[in-house]
Amino acid sequence: MPDIAFFGFAAVTVLGAILALESRDLVYGAVSLGVSFLGVASLFFLLDAAYIGVFQIAVYIGAVVILILFTVMLVGPAKGEGPTEFRRTALFIGILVAMMLGVGGALASPSAFSTNQPCTPECDLAQFSQSLLVTYSVQLAVLSLVFAAAVIGALTLAKSERGTA
Amino acid sequence: MADPISDPIGFSLEIMTSPLFFKVAVFPGLTSIGIIIALFIWLDRKITARVQLRVGPLYASPLGGVLQSFADLIKFAFKELFIPRNADKFFFVAAPVLALIGGAGLVGLIPFTPEWQISNLELGLPAFLAFVTLSPMLILLAGWSANSKYPFIGGLRSLFQQTAYEIPLWLSAIGVVMMAGTMNLIGIVQAQSKPWVIFLGLSIPGWYIIPQALGALLFFITATAEMERIPFDLPEAEPEIIMGWQAEYPGFLFMSAAGASFVRLYAFSALFSVLYLGGWMGPAPVPALLWTAIKIIIVSSLIILLRATFPRVRIDQLLRAGWTYLLGLAFLNIVITYLLVVGPRI
Amino acid sequence: MEPLASFFGLSATLLAIGIYGLATKRSAIRILFSVELIYNAANLNIVAFARLRNPPLVTGQVLVIFSIALAAMEAAVGLAIILLAFRLNSDIDLRKMTRLKG
Repeated sequence: MPDIAFFGFAAVTVLGAILALESRDLVYGAVSLGVSFLGVASLFFLLDAAYIGVFQIAVYIGAVVILILFTVMLVGPAKGEGPTEFRRTALFIGILVAMMLGVGGALASPSAFSTNQPCTPECDLAQFSQSLLVTYSVQLAVLSLVFAAAVIGALTLAKSERGTA
Repeated sequence: MADPISDPIGFSLEIMTSPLFFKVAVFPGLTSIGIIIALFIWLDRKITARVQLRVGPLYASPLGGVLQSFADLIKFAFKELFIPRNADKFFFVAAPVLALIGGAGLVGLIPFTPEWQISNLELGLPAFLAFVTLSPMLILLAGWSANSKYPFIGGLRSLFQQTAYEIPLWLSAIGVVMMAGTMNLIGIVQAQSKPWVIFLGLSIPGWYIIPQALGALLFFITATAEMERIPFDLPEAEPEIIMGWQAEYPGFLFMSAAGASFVRLYAFSALFSVLYLGGWMGPAPVPALLWTAIKIIIVSSLIILLRATFPRVRIDQLLRAGWTYLLGLAFLNIVITYLLVVGPRI
Repeated sequence: MEPLASFFGLSATLLAIGIYGLATKRSAIRILFSVELIYNAANLNIVAFARLRNPPLVTGQVLVIFSIALAAMEAAVGLAIILLAFRLNSDIDLRKMTRLKG
């Protein structure tokens, strides 16, 4: 059963990512990006990291995608979409194909990484929160400081030129 | 389990009779959600009418016009599906339908009793709140796709309001998690089973509304704002921006958009009764499901009463209150809860 | 349970799509999309590697929480910069932003 689930979520993720970059309208691109994030969140659920999945939905779709949509609607959909340069496109499609081949190799040899066992009861939230709030408490505090700095920076940037420009 | 290929009839019968199918399809799933929405619309009209000294729906059945909202829903389904020429057709149709489906999905996480729950996640509470955060995106898209001024203003207002009030909503729910020591919704209800005090044979139930009074108030206010009901219905303020993001919606799609707001009323009332009012537990020996129903009706009637009694707030007042007072009070609530939880241990 | 190798493969695909977008797109918002995709690829990889052990290594999950929070900040600041650039140039094509003076 997880095989079907995995391939479904993986397809959603990859298709969402491609559409995010290639859709004609930026609003559709932003929504496809959200769909792709939702796919990644479901993959986190499959990897027994439910808390990260929930966090991913709340932060990425609840905040990041909404910010992007808001900016897209302010800026207007058709700006900055020049024709893509063909030579670069070809180069990077080449890289893409090469990486896909590498992926195929990895898939062809499942013995490269052990198939994981079903999660034991130790996969619980208590251990995770212990690690987050006790072991890495200083890092968490520093992260919140960085967060405050980022918010203040974003507010200043977005506000500063209101009168002049 | 029957083999799906050799015995298709037996296989589908087995699925149809499984308890999970019954839960998803009948109760607490789709059928009951549909009926309960119609009942909530009726309750909304009736309570508002009583407060304003009117009678409200009256004729459509002997029981105070209960069937009026069913009749209205059927009427909406038969209206012409008119899509404005300049609208973005995909999101115009998809956004309200997805909002309705997302709202119904919220109900699936609620434990009505330990047996009557569709999906019992270990992270039930954050999963519920995370799915709530999806809705401003849909409403913004709905407002944008109509390609018209008032819907877009409504969508932007909804974006500002809902993202601002999500943060105090999460923070006020943290108090309950701290007291219960779990994020599972069934675990939260079971943590409230111990009576608070027993005095002269009378027991005050250990519901979290007593130690978490501030948190419950904050949760109630922010949940009302998330539902976009009066006094926080700026995104669809009828006299200002003629129903806001719903302005251009025709028959069935308007029904989805309006229904989504009532599904959220239902889901949030149920969540409030689970978090703060002890869910299916109560002092009198009444069936557990009835207790849940009584609590949901009380909470939703309170939210509806707000609609009939308060004027709408302005957008700047709303945002300032959300980012300053509510956020500060939510942090204060966390500190108080910390003292309540850790204090007795010192 | 799916072999973890396929998670690594999916992560590599996401990374490749992100790099492709970074290199070929001209709109600043598309480039932000690509950066977010690369973030997601990295997060998926970290969680999958943390799952290799049983019980899983929670340090990896904590790292991903930090990474997601940092990505959100990066998006906020990046979008503020894009808004400012749009106000100054009335365009968000990165190839046209050639002036050093604001």
